[in-house]
Amino acid sequence: MIRDCKIIKELPQGGQKTVHLAVHPSVGLVVIKRGTIKSFTSLERIKREVELLSELKSEYFPQQYHFNIDVKTKEFEIVEDFIEGKVLRDSMANFKDPKAIFSLMHFLTNGLSIIWDRNIVHRDLKPENIIIRPNGMPCIIDLGIARFLDLESLTKTISPMGPCTPIYAAPEQLINNKNLIDQRTDFFELGIITLELYLGIHPFDPQYVGNHFSIVENIMQNLYVVETTKVKRDKAIADFASKILQTQPYQRFRNYRMLKAYIDQNI
Amino acid sequence: MKVFHQTGHNIKWNIDSFNEGVGDGLIYSPINIDADKLLGLDLKLKSTGFLDPQLYLLNQAKGSIETYPYFPGNLKSDFATPDLDNDNINLAKLCIDYQLKNDFKYLVIPTKYNAENPTNYLIQCTDYFVIPFCEYAKEVNKDKKILLSVIVKGIMLTDDEKRNEILNWITGHQNVDGVYLIFENNFASKQIKDFDFLFNALRLIKILKDNQMEVHIGYCNTEALLYSLAMPDSVTIGSYENLRSFGIRRFQETDNSPMRSPNARLYSSKLLQWVDYGYIQPMKTLVENYADYFDESPYNPLTNFKPDYNWQFKKTEPYKHYFYVFNKQIKSLSEDQFDRIENLKINIKTSRNLFNKIESSVLLDDDSDGSHLQHWFNVINAFQKEIS
Repeated sequence: MIRDCKIIKELPQGGQKTVHLAVHPSVGLVVIKRGTIKSFTSLERIKREVELLSELKSEYFPQQYHFNIDVKTKEFEIVEDFIEGKVLRDSMANFKDPKAIFSLMHFLTNGLSIIWDRNIVHRDLKPENIIIRPNGMPCIIDLGIARFLDLESLTKTISPMGPCTPIYAAPEQLINNKNLIDQRTDFFELGIITLELYLGIHPFDPQYVGNHFSIVENIMQNLYVVETTKVKRDKAIADFASKILQTQPYQRFRNYRMLKAYIDQNI
Repeated sequence: MKVFHQTGHNIKWNIDSFNEGVGDGLIYSPINIDADKLLGLDLKLKSTGFLDPQLYLLNQAKGSIETYPYFPGNLKSDFATPDLDNDNINLAKLCIDYQLKNDFKYLVIPTKYNAENPTNYLIQCTDYFVIPFCEYAKEVNKDKKILLSVIVKGIMLTDDEKRNEILNWITGHQNVDGVYLIFENNFASKQIKDFDFLFNALRLIKILKDNQMEVHIGYCNTEALLYSLAMPDSVTIGSYENLRSFGIRRFQETDNSPMRSPNARLYSSKLLQWVDYGYIQPMKTLVENYADYFDESPYNPLTNFKPDYNWQFKKTEPYKHYFYVFNKQIKSLSEDQFDRIENLKINIKTSRNLFNKIESSVLLDDDSDGSHLQHWFNVINAFQKEIS
């Protein structure tokens, strides 16, 4: 498939991957990702992500078209759907109103429930990993560190921190308590995104919390704000956040059906 | 809220009582009833209840448990915990198939008892029981709800870290609908008089209910009234003391020593206590209208079998009286949590006044008096404060 693609331009991408926008004669715009496999763990993570995405076939996730590994060079190449739209980070202004935020959470929960039903936890939900399509629907990307609860864990038990983006991580990720990782971990991350959309700032930011800790330390101590001098507290948003930003997973919603029911009450 | 009979020795008393309309179902005890005999019981006795699989000690062939197809000793004679690494799926299939054959209301995932609380205990329970049971249940069963057996040790109630651990574990199993909760009771007194234990038991039940799980509490004594304040789905009534208090000795093969013979006791819903019959004789002489301190029931020895009832702890009447009275007491509780709390507080105060009257002429020991009631009252106030 990759031979039929015509490269259009290079796209910015972090990490060790090179990313190109290309066009394929039958599927249209695609993204070609190439990179080097650094270890067995990174190979396994890529394999799991690719296999999952090729099975999902949902508008909430990018469609996967091609995956190949060159054993000699230890390089991989992936061809996936190009998602038109803007990352949530760049379209936060459209989600200031509580109703719009709950509506986004409703769709995100719909999408994520597809992987949660498969016992998979995204573990890296953040505004950069959500693309808002032109029709307003979110697409969830980068399942590179997703935890497949039915498969063997790839995280070293002795690591002080589990795989995550620390400032969007749940406490159990930050202390690498692998046994506690489940869909409720993603709920916590959604809680941070919810408050960040509403307030326009990271809710655990020490500048707003009023202390000298880091964001990560504030997450561990459960110190966050639900209002700022510029944005007044909204009861529905604050109540929602206080439920899903609890330190202990049992204090959050037990499952996505409960989460969804709560969200849907506020749309 | 439902009331289940926690059955054991003399299950006939429970069946008779259930057939007379007392209780909502039975919890069956494999060490006390042969597997085939249980299979042969009328379906209407089983379709409202469930099995307590009793794999607490895995390979201890206590009583009739070895007649059960899932008893580990039937898979391998010297079955030990490490064998669960390979036999967990087989064991899950046999246990679920047996429960399905009986058509119980729920499918129950067993648990293993550990005297200590090793760090890998919950991980082992997940691997050995929860995962294989849920997977097989999904394969063969479409309708029945799944309950997870959990033995709650004292430390899991009083130590924050242990409590968080057990709660995160219980609530983390998405395929489980509820929990068959068993509080281990290592107290020397007949009533639990420990504030921390009782208060934290209520908090634990409430958290599980907040997580929208069904909560069925096994091996209850009269503290079931207290537990009821956290709005569980069911509590139990049981005859002998070892069915109203969970201790692992009951499941140990070595515990074949003759049962000690406690004095017979009579339950009073007015006193919220079981009173040793040894005090009933002096009450008869010294307390005016002494019989009024006890409830009316078709089994009350004071009113139905006088004057020469032979009090003996193995006799059926005091237990059937308890089933009748306690079931009625539970069924009369308000559906509203705050009313339930206020009513129990009033009842406790009334009971303490009644005890004062009795003890103005008849002194009672710690296991027959109202010395547990102040603890109950304090627990209720603390719980009420927390949920208000």
